Amino acid sequence: MTGVVEGGWEFVIAAYAITVLGFAIYGASLVARLKELNKHD
Amino acid sequence: MRSKTPYVLLALGTLLLLFGSYWGLFVAPSERYMGEVQRIMYVHVPTAWNWMLAVLFAFGCAIAYLFTANAKWDSRMEAGLEVGVLLAFLLCIQGSIWAKPTWGVWWDWDPRLTSVAVLLMASLGILALRSFVDDPSRRAVWSAVATIIASVDLPIVYFSVKWWNSLHQEQSTPQTVSSAFHLPLRVNAVAVLLLMIGFLMLRTRVAALRLERESAVPQLQQEAGELA
Amino acid sequence: MLTAALRKELLLQWRTRGQMMAVFVFGATALLLFSFAIGPDASALRTFSAGFLWLGLLLSSTLTLAESFHSEMENRALEGLLLLPSDARALYYAKAIANWLQLALLGIALVPVMVVLYDAGTLQLLKLLGVILLGTAGLSAPGTLYAGMTAQVKAKQMLLPLLLFPLIVPALLASVKATSLVILGDPMNQSGAWLTLLAAFDLIYWSLCGLLFGRVVEE
Repeated sequence: MTGVVEGGWEFVIAAYAITVLGFAIYGASLVARLKELNKHD
Repeated sequence: MRSKTPYVLLALGTLLLLFGSYWGLFVAPSERYMGEVQRIMYVHVPTAWNWMLAVLFAFGCAIAYLFTANAKWDSRMEAGLEVGVLLAFLLCIQGSIWAKPTWGVWWDWDPRLTSVAVLLMASLGILALRSFVDDPSRRAVWSAVATIIASVDLPIVYFSVKWWNSLHQEQSTPQTVSSAFHLPLRVNAVAVLLLMIGFLMLRTRVAALRLERESAVPQLQQEAGELA
Repeated sequence: MLTAALRKELLLQWRTRGQMMAVFVFGATALLLFSFAIGPDASALRTFSAGFLWLGLLLSSTLTLAESFHSEMENRALEGLLLLPSDARALYYAKAIANWLQLALLGIALVPVMVVLYDAGTLQLLKLLGVILLGTAGLSAPGTLYAGMTAQVKAKQMLLPLLLFPLIVPALLASVKATSLVILGDPMNQSGAWLTLLAAFDLIYWSLCGLLFGRVVEE
């Protein structure tokens, strides 16, 4: 045991992927909601 | 009202986030103790900073609404609450992904992470309250009051959990970030900030449009009644 | 003004004391159920007894808090009360004090149940009473405000705990810790810190909620 955390790339990739996905989905939902609201005009 | 600014901000933020994350993932050296897992910090810390800004924003809007009773502060507060929920949710996930390889558990009762989770629940409660109140001015006042109460709770939660935790275990914290790690951290912080401002602007627009529509419906009914 | 409003609240509580009994039975049942969740392990039950007591109290509190605005809502009396030249602040503090008393009594009544079920006895009764008083005060201040808010909404049974529970985390944490230290012993003398935290929580929310309540009930 050196105390260094070994490997862990899968955790890193998961964290970045979920964050990017979260931003993307939220952004898309906002655009969709705006479109829906503007359509009724 | 229909300015392109939020879209420009979102595009810029996305580009910066790609650049900063590339730097953080492939260019920056791996950390001495934490190894590769340290790289989660380049996205986690910027999210955390911006979450705090979102919470402050919602708090400020709540106070502004109570003083001015201007509906635009209500729309902004709704946006701040929802964007805060998004960031808090991401923070909790990133935090547990960080906790697993570092401490061997998915959830560590770290004061920061726990406070985020508590405020996430509180914000969801306020958004639920909003969806159950039909009268716009009541909804605005009540959620402003609830937002102020929840924001005041945040520091108390933080210190109580910190105490609670330190009384039964000393927690190993990662080293303070050294200069070699500054660049991706700062770039991503600006990137998430731009994204957040873009989201806030768009979400405010959604809230304002809904409010407009809501107040338009009774007016139409009234007019129809007068005609009949 | 406050004394008149308080007298009215206490009278109302005295008249509905049967309801208080029902809430006590609910709390005691909750304590009984918690022990089934852990199993018949006496030492584990004793260790967690403080947590169970406060969770039982918290669950029961949503019942009593929600009921505290019931009579006003039924006859639209809240609007009537607010027409009087009294201010909303007196109404709030009267309600909050009445709720506090009711919750504290409930907490005191649940202690013997806890002692019997979890073998969690203590002789420091005064200290335990102090913790219960401070802890229920922390529950009652925001609880009364949110009860006043949610009483006017359709989904009140759902919204009150949704709004109240996250908020109450520090008070719950401190109350459980302080109670636990009273029951299991306090070799490092930590309970003072938790009681201070509770007192600070109470002070902040008793003043903040009194300040904001007027906006909640205004027309």
